[in-house]
Amino acid sequence: MKILVCVKQIQDPEIAPGLFKVDEASNSVVAVPGIAQVISPYDEQAIEAALRIKEKTPEAKVVVITLGAASARDVLKHGLSMGADEAVLVEGPKNGSADGFVTASVLSEAIKKLAPFDLILTGRQSADLDAGVVACGLAELLGIPSVNFAKSVDVSDGNVVVDRVLDNGFEKIQVQLPALVTVSNEMGPARKPNLRETMKASRKPMQSWPQNDVNKDAGASQELIRLYVPIKEKHCEIIGGTSAGETAQMLVRKLRDGRLI
Amino acid sequence: MRPEPEGEWVQGWPDRKRPKLMPSKDAEGRTVFARTPLDQLEGLITPTDAFYIVTQLSPAEPIHPDDYVFSISGLVDRPLELKLSDVQKMPARTVRAVTECAGDDSDWFRWQKGAAKKPSRILTPQVEQGGWNNMDQGEKPSIEQILEAIPSSGVVSAGEWTGVSLFEVLNLAGVKPEATCAHLVGYDLGKPDPTPLYMSTGRTDIDYVDPGIINYDKALELSKALHPDTILAWAMNGEHLQHIHGAPLRLVVPGWSGNWWVKWIKQIELLDHTPECYYQHQYFVLGESPDDPNRKPCKQLGCKSFVSYPVDEDSPLKRGSHAIRGLAWSGEGAITRVEVSVDDGKTWHDAHIEEHGDRWLWRRWMCRWDVSEPGKYVIKSRATDEQGRVQPQQPWNYQQKHFDGITPVDVEVI
Repeated sequence: MKILVCVKQIQDPEIAPGLFKVDEASNSVVAVPGIAQVISPYDEQAIEAALRIKEKTPEAKVVVITLGAASARDVLKHGLSMGADEAVLVEGPKNGSADGFVTASVLSEAIKKLAPFDLILTGRQSADLDAGVVACGLAELLGIPSVNFAKSVDVSDGNVVVDRVLDNGFEKIQVQLPALVTVSNEMGPARKPNLRETMKASRKPMQSWPQNDVNKDAGASQELIRLYVPIKEKHCEIIGGTSAGETAQMLVRKLRDGRLI
Repeated sequence: MRPEPEGEWVQGWPDRKRPKLMPSKDAEGRTVFARTPLDQLEGLITPTDAFYIVTQLSPAEPIHPDDYVFSISGLVDRPLELKLSDVQKMPARTVRAVTECAGDDSDWFRWQKGAAKKPSRILTPQVEQGGWNNMDQGEKPSIEQILEAIPSSGVVSAGEWTGVSLFEVLNLAGVKPEATCAHLVGYDLGKPDPTPLYMSTGRTDIDYVDPGIINYDKALELSKALHPDTILAWAMNGEHLQHIHGAPLRLVVPGWSGNWWVKWIKQIELLDHTPECYYQHQYFVLGESPDDPNRKPCKQLGCKSFVSYPVDEDSPLKRGSHAIRGLAWSGEGAITRVEVSVDDGKTWHDAHIEEHGDRWLWRRWMCRWDVSEPGKYVIKSRATDEQGRVQPQQPWNYQQKHFDGITPVDVEVI
């Protein structure tokens, strides 16, 4: 049994908001010096889901795969330290693409090279752009069923059984393998890499494939026009007046003008 | 069981996770309080990234070393304003010493009185520390909730401090004979938060004397101020002092609890009396009750040791040989003896102490324990210092400061 887990390296979402900067000229997030980039937390939980299956099915092999810059090796090392067996880096441009279609196209071609596989797991969305489209696109391009927002994932008799999170409860779905499942935070916290697995991780195979070797034709279908931090403006106006009554009248007028009353 | 050690990639190599602080951060992500993972340390010097942090007021705004200036005034022949480069031209001195927060291990006082569960030596997370003053928006938490949320262990570390003896700086200004105390004022400013007072006393119904907005200050008696090991430090653990540890210049008062180690020195004023410093007369005091007429400021630490291995969480232990290990330190100089008991204090055996020449630094000690009988054991350690003081020295006090009691380890051997 082969489980592929697609992961993404992102800016640490836990950094102080004051440190988060966007370069509007290049439409990209500015890396904070001295602060390491991290694995997207939902993806970390997808690895956790894979490892829980592996605990019940020891012959299962877990492969983590990412599309990213050379620095994304760090998130693969993290996955291997958690207990995954192999890793594949599809090495793309430094700033990557915000286009989910491109990511899904490249990953689908890479995954075809890793076939046969039984189960693909991903986070429900990345914790930076939060688009949540790559996984479904991937399943579509691979022609396999997909189930999203999993709280738990179990494999038995060639099927995957998923507890899905709904707005008002849960539902249990069974689909035939191969299939793709996206993992939600309800999966629970991911395990921390322990010393023994981290030591072992350095001897586990990690392949690196240039993106162009995997898929040259993945043209963008979207254009990112502007990436910016929302501007919150506050204006304060002191309402004058010669008497309390006059001030109140002027306040009411202002509130009406603003369609607040 | 003690958790399996975590791993991480260090310099590109798989390795043991480096010891890191257990931090509480302010709204801007800056660490303002952090405890040291004592269970993960080896050796004598606490790495800076694992060195505990306590701030009482708002930390000072960072100052560029070239722009930094502090003054010496009061009962001196020549009032001075000095830059960092001025003190760095004076004869330097390096001191290795334990820094311990006065409130370190105060949970054990409560445990001794049966008012709290037994504290753990394994660092567990604390809540983000917002402080009492920041809790005005909602309902105040109960004191039990606060005590549960912020454990007292791990506010002790040991470091190497490089700077200049305070007496060299005072001599430059010329101390007048009538001076009795050096009043040290930090650049940190704010309104004292009563949370530490409530936490340490376990009560919220005591009078809180609000001094308004103050600079952090301490009035150090002249005999300690003139001790050659009392230094103004600009470096720590072989590197420039970090801002949160008091850069550009902080006071180092070996043997005395951390509240004396004034950070971000702004002013040194020589006086012929002791001023009413909030953190000397209202907080950081030893006494039987808030009304105790004999209450006095916390000064030198007691005589203390603890067992770092095994801890309760290591139970059950297998029969065979074990190394019982720990640390010991004193506020009045070097540790000369550590005894270990494995039978709840009925019999004591001398432990091996690692010798070194730094009298203010803690000493590592160990004792081989060959155990063949299964059963429950209570392991204790007891330190003696060069003054002949035997652990414990500090009785219970209402602010629960300077705990140096004997802390038992309960283990089962199978």
